[in-house]
Amino acid sequence: MKKFKQFVNSFLLVELLKGLMVTGRHMFSPKVTIQYPEEKTPQSPRFRGIHALRSYPNGEERCIACKLCEAVCPAAAITIDAGVRESDGSRRTTKYEIDLFKCIFCGFCEESCPVDSIVETRVFEYHFEEQGAQILTKEKLLEIGLIHEEQLAQDIEADAKYR
Amino acid sequence: MTDLSYDKSLHLKELIPQSEIDEIDCWIKKYPNDRKRPPIMPALKVVQENNGNYLTTEMMQAVAEYLDVPHVAVYEVATFYSMFNLDKMGRHVLSVCTNLSCSLRGADKVVEHLQNRLNIKLGETTKDGLFSIKEVECMAACGGAPMLEVDKIYHENLTEEKIDQILSEMAAKDLPTQEDK
Amino acid sequence: MGKVNIEIDGKQLTADVGSMIIEVADEADIYIPRFCYHKKLSVAANCRMCMVDVSSLPKAVPACATPVADGMVIQTQSDRAIDAQKSVMEFLLINHPLDCPVCDQGGECELQDLSVGYGEDVSRYVEGKRVVKDKNLGPLISTDMTRCIHCTRCVRFGQEVVGIRELGATGRGEHIEIGTYIESTMDSEVSANIIDLCPVGALTAKPSRYKARAWELRESPSIAPHDCLGSNVNIHHRRGEIIRVVPRENESINEVWLSDRDRFSYQALTEGKRLLKPKIKKNGTWQETDWQTALNFAVAEMKRIIGVSKGEEFGTIVGNNSTLEESFLIQKLIRGTGCNNIDFRTRRRDFSKDQYSGVRAGFNFPLQDLDTMDATLLIAGDIRHEQPLAALRVRKSTGFGRAMAINPFDGEYNFRLYQEIQPEPHLLAQEFACVLAAAAQKQPDKINAEIKDWIEGITFTEQHAIIVDELINGEQSCILMGVYVQEHPQAEVVNWIAEQVARLTDSKWGYMTQGCNAAGNKMAGAVPNQSEFGGRATPGKNAKQMLTEGLKGYLIHNCEPDVESLWADQALANLQNAECVIALTSYEDGRVSDYSTVMLPIAGSYETSGTYVNVEGRWQSFSAAVPAPGESRPAWKVLRVLGNLLDTSGFDYESSVQIRDELKEKQENSRDKKESRKTPPELHAASEEETKRDSLGLYMVDPMVRRANALQQTSKASTHPISISRVTT
Repeated sequence: MKKFKQFVNSFLLVELLKGLMVTGRHMFSPKVTIQYPEEKTPQSPRFRGIHALRSYPNGEERCIACKLCEAVCPAAAITIDAGVRESDGSRRTTKYEIDLFKCIFCGFCEESCPVDSIVETRVFEYHFEEQGAQILTKEKLLEIGLIHEEQLAQDIEADAKYR
Repeated sequence: MTDLSYDKSLHLKELIPQSEIDEIDCWIKKYPNDRKRPPIMPALKVVQENNGNYLTTEMMQAVAEYLDVPHVAVYEVATFYSMFNLDKMGRHVLSVCTNLSCSLRGADKVVEHLQNRLNIKLGETTKDGLFSIKEVECMAACGGAPMLEVDKIYHENLTEEKIDQILSEMAAKDLPTQEDK
Repeated sequence: MGKVNIEIDGKQLTADVGSMIIEVADEADIYIPRFCYHKKLSVAANCRMCMVDVSSLPKAVPACATPVADGMVIQTQSDRAIDAQKSVMEFLLINHPLDCPVCDQGGECELQDLSVGYGEDVSRYVEGKRVVKDKNLGPLISTDMTRCIHCTRCVRFGQEVVGIRELGATGRGEHIEIGTYIESTMDSEVSANIIDLCPVGALTAKPSRYKARAWELRESPSIAPHDCLGSNVNIHHRRGEIIRVVPRENESINEVWLSDRDRFSYQALTEGKRLLKPKIKKNGTWQETDWQTALNFAVAEMKRIIGVSKGEEFGTIVGNNSTLEESFLIQKLIRGTGCNNIDFRTRRRDFSKDQYSGVRAGFNFPLQDLDTMDATLLIAGDIRHEQPLAALRVRKSTGFGRAMAINPFDGEYNFRLYQEIQPEPHLLAQEFACVLAAAAQKQPDKINAEIKDWIEGITFTEQHAIIVDELINGEQSCILMGVYVQEHPQAEVVNWIAEQVARLTDSKWGYMTQGCNAAGNKMAGAVPNQSEFGGRATPGKNAKQMLTEGLKGYLIHNCEPDVESLWADQALANLQNAECVIALTSYEDGRVSDYSTVMLPIAGSYETSGTYVNVEGRWQSFSAAVPAPGESRPAWKVLRVLGNLLDTSGFDYESSVQIRDELKEKQENSRDKKESRKTPPELHAASEEETKRDSLGLYMVDPMVRRANALQQTSKASTHPISISRVTT
């Protein structure tokens, strides 16, 4: 009986049709591939891209040089020097560097920051053209922060209720 | 020792009359020789009464020098006790207790009423220099809370009417002196 | 003292009657949280954090203020104890700001640590926190008084340990504030200890403010290089840079304290103008060069001058703070070339006993014994500013004993003097001789004919007799000579009198020395009349002769004779006129670049390994905490290479430990020469000119301290900046 069933199935090309059905189904199902770079995938507010240092609306940098990010960084990618700022005696960084070759984008720095200063933006498209450019200096980080401030503020707002 | 502003030429004897110095000496004698700090309180009291009703920094320094104690030891005493005033006060100082018992029995209302009546805030003096209100710590009259002290007299179980009465009595007492002026 | 048996957390313990629960627990390694309790301070019991549960008592009690009683059963972790501690923590946090991220104490804060254990996540208080105005306590201590929890450790430190009460707690209740009331800075010489004492971030170090976090720092033990006590320190450094210096507990030297000088002098290393490359002066301008060229140049010059003058015209001045190893190498090197002019004593006028002197250290008793002296006689000197921590010990003894002084100058003491005699400076020895006369009369059976002759005709007063009585009656008594004595033209007479008085009155005696390694330098043989450990040496010129006579060539190691010697002006002129001055120095500012011909960069303190011998004769070795900057090298390495280039033998050391071990062996094999000379020294009047005070001042003692910025800004610093001479030339 079994042999007979097998014979009929192979004669009627059932296996082939089954296979073609999968093909057919996928032909008409919605596509998941996208045409990068013309098209882009949607991103979560928690996306962890290149770093930025945020500032307050009045232009004052948020970072208070508490060094928690440096301490928590599992890849030791962050280097901070701190000191007293001459003008107002406040605690500020004199050097804040992230080595992107060391960084593993775990987001711990963002997590540890008490003032939401160091954040990871949604930007993941960048490249370096010369040696040394992989080190993000404080100036660069603050600049990135300024460019993306609106988006960053929205993302932090969106995520706030889960914290 | 390190008070840069301290004027070394300052002497208590130049600030108050000899009779008062004698009184302080009398207090010093009541304590053992090696105990220098106990006479601080009576000495400050003597000096304060001599100066109207408040102490200046110079006076506190002179007292420290006279009793041979560190300056800061005298400041500590003067700032701790509410009976010492560091600013010029009105003729009558209304010391309102706001500690636990009095607070539970409505000390905040007493303060509010006084402030409204005299139109000044805590720690201020009325323009005519008659009254000052001062917030003080427990004066050991919890049984009659809420209480206030005026011119060394305790007034207990205060109500708004009672406060008004005290104030008008005080003002009445002062009328003749005001006329003298 | 009686003993009682108690039980803490199930552990059976025996304790002295009268000791507090917290002391017994600390000894048994049972931790009880605390803020106000400190083992070196009195009990205040005002923080209430150390509440423990004693089974026989109805409420939790403070462990720091509850004496033990026989059969006490104490629980530190019971519900009642924990509940009490949690309540206290909640109260403490009512007003304490939540600014740990910007607080310098963050990471090493006692309140932060304990709030993790006893604090709640969320505060129940909604009221605003109080804010307190920060006080200006000077250039060493920065304040954030809002963080203060009023443990009063700093107040008690000033009152009890230093004896100068600068801080106090003013106000009451919610309004209590720690401060000086009237705006004034703290300027005692040990003020910065309150930084260590403060359990929170209210008092922090100003020079290292915001520089680093506790968790980034690495700790290396070392020895402070500024006074003859040799305080033990820990160097905290990060990425090769010294961030701060803190005391390392050593009960027999510095207890848990550290003088401000030892604490903040590191600034010279991190902020001073360091010499980073060897330099040779050619036609009046400095040129950077490499080590090889510089060393060859130095060697050629040395050989030339020593060769021409048979060693007469070349002199070597060793700094007070050179390590034992450096001093040993430098004298070996110089004597190897046939030159005998070497000395480290740039602040000594009396060389009369040089040919007899042995290698005795200043004290013949442990420093710690100063605590328990019933009578202490101070001879000259300014103990508070010369050895601040020794002054704290003397002060401790005055709690029950008596301190007396024979001091030609107005001394600033932080303890009460029972007797004080103020002779003319040039009559110091004569005045002290009266004490000897008094002692001789009181102890007639102890004197010999020699002393009898010596004191003939010396009369004494009632005051001298009282001093002698105190020394005799005190169960423990000592005579302590300050640094000034060793600068006095009759230093040896005073030393001899001290020894005799000590013998007659059954006291101990000792003298303080300049710098941190005077005893070591002497042992190493950096003196003109003896090589290491009193070994024979051809006599050479002493420091005074070298600096005042003017030689053709000088080798100066780690010192600035133009500032710190007693003949500063003459020294400067002679150094400027010399044909060649080879300077081993860590700094290139100051006048060293003015008069030297070649500068060799050497590592500073904490950057080199070595040994200091303190005033008790205690050898304290240390290794480098941080690497030396630029091309500077540890001096012992430089001297080793110099020795090889000069073709002197025995310079094949591979480590400073090897040198030390050799010296240790030599010390064991050497027999200390009998120091006292056979005939007593002659008592003659010293000239007034020679005895006028020429003290270096608290923050001027060595090249390192002179370059420490924060210390130079304190009110105790000399008004003279380092680069300008004390006397303009």
